[in-house]
Amino acid sequence: MGDISLGISCPSCGGALKVEEGAKSVSCNYCNALIWLEGDEGIHTIMFANMVDRNKAIWLVQEWFRKGLKARDLKTAGAITEIFPLYLPFWRLNARAAGWVCGYRERQKYDSQGRPAGVEREYMERMVFRDFDWTYLACDPGDIGVKRLRNLYGQVIPANVTEVPTFEVTTSKTDALNMGIQNVQQMALQSANVQHITFQKIHVIPRQFMLVYYPVWLVRYKYQERVYFATIDGVLGKVIAGRAPGDPLYQSLIMTGGSVGGGLAAAAGVYLALTGISDELGILAIVGGVVLLIASYLFFRHGSEVVEGDIEAKYKGFSLKKAGEISSAMGGLKI
Amino acid sequence: MATIKCTKCGAPVEIEPGAKFVKCTYCDSQMYIDKSGAGFFYILDFKLDETSATGVFRRWAAGSVMAKNLDKEAKIFKAIPQYFPVYMFKRDVDGREVVYVEPAKSTSLPGMHSLKIPPGDIKIFDQHYKIPQHIQVIQPELDMLAYFNSLPGKPKEQALVYFPIWYMEYNYQGQIYNVVIDASSGEVFADRFPTRGSAPYMVVAVAGFVLYAIYGLVAWWNLMVGLIAMGITVPVIFGTGYLVAKKW
Repeated sequence: MGDISLGISCPSCGGALKVEEGAKSVSCNYCNALIWLEGDEGIHTIMFANMVDRNKAIWLVQEWFRKGLKARDLKTAGAITEIFPLYLPFWRLNARAAGWVCGYRERQKYDSQGRPAGVEREYMERMVFRDFDWTYLACDPGDIGVKRLRNLYGQVIPANVTEVPTFEVTTSKTDALNMGIQNVQQMALQSANVQHITFQKIHVIPRQFMLVYYPVWLVRYKYQERVYFATIDGVLGKVIAGRAPGDPLYQSLIMTGGSVGGGLAAAAGVYLALTGISDELGILAIVGGVVLLIASYLFFRHGSEVVEGDIEAKYKGFSLKKAGEISSAMGGLKI
Repeated sequence: MATIKCTKCGAPVEIEPGAKFVKCTYCDSQMYIDKSGAGFFYILDFKLDETSATGVFRRWAAGSVMAKNLDKEAKIFKAIPQYFPVYMFKRDVDGREVVYVEPAKSTSLPGMHSLKIPPGDIKIFDQHYKIPQHIQVIQPELDMLAYFNSLPGKPKEQALVYFPIWYMEYNYQGQIYNVVIDASSGEVFADRFPTRGSAPYMVVAVAGFVLYAIYGLVAWWNLMVGLIAMGITVPVIFGTGYLVAKKW
């Protein structure tokens, strides 16, 4: 090692200074001089205590085996091979968004017989003034399944005192801050809830930007010679991400339900349109049926592995929310 | 553990790669670690042994887009644990911190073109760090200085990072494929692998949908006939779907 360490002492009296990482100024304990720090001051860092012990982590995973559309024999056939605690680094930005969003909402008007009678515009002017929190993983996500924090509170412990493996920060502080500001801007815009925006001006004022070391348990388990994993939140005490084997029975059940429901909805749509009750309702029913079919097909096709958490996947399990996403991609029909 | 000498009392102080400030355990004085003028060697631990890595491969091979039974039929004939080198540069460009990850070796391994440093507990790689005999350390071919002089801004930190991978080759139906598994987090990289078609899945989905759309219209004409047809067809769709999901 070369000469890379610099002692930090007070320039006016020579006393040893105690500097918190991320601090911009420090006051000397001996002569009360106020000292401004220059250079790379680091970043304010906090670490949360892990509230989950090994036995609880094992129990949580076994409970998780029983939940959802996972292989039915997972609780007996899944065997934990490895389980270890670790700390993941997250950038955390707390920022205040303040500004105005203007625009309008469109509503369908009906006349006294309930027939559609054009569209009415309702103009809106919304003020945004509140704080937002944004978090993002400060290293490459790899295959851990966590990119955002589910929780911002925990018992704070001094950083760098644990023997537990701590994943290092490998992304840039500035990039993260800029990404955070952009995301807060987006969140603020969405919170205004204006359907069609004609004018917006939102300022984002960062209040606190720091690193949070967050405790998780990483569990690897074996099922039919394959190794899957699950990640447990060490503060909340629940499984927040993972991969698990699916079950052909569930795949087929969902497909049967989806094709039956979708087919009948389409038939109802044809019926409504042919009998002249309502063309619009008829089209809506046909589109709804197709959406249900596509959503159930995707689970049928890709449900042999069930994925939870922040993992890129073809399909993450069947839900109506997912069907809603497909329908909005198809043309803005909300289920 | 890597150590530096305390600037006040000379005692050895252990440092971690992520640390900017350290405290001497003997005299309590604090020091700032200035990494801008030195090149560090960092290394990540192997978190997957051969059994786990093979299991991760089998999990990946059982995925919905890979050939059916690839997890059972792929014969792994090569599994090599390696340390792969990349350079990490942290620079101060006009007050912004920018991180560059650059190759230290040219390679055609899958997943290694989009360079990154897998998530892991980065350790300082010095004489205290023991690499087991059977793990190959791939030596850097490209020089750190070549990059160092061409990058913008001022240096904050530069390091050669060795990260652990499992390189595997497997044989499936007479064809040879390769795959790289990040041995820190278990992420799998593959450029080319045997795939499976979606046709049978499509057939079940579309046939079910069309049949029920027809039955719905039949039921409008004659409710009894429609309901009987529906009742007979449900087990057929379910049974076919189950077989396809299991076997295809």
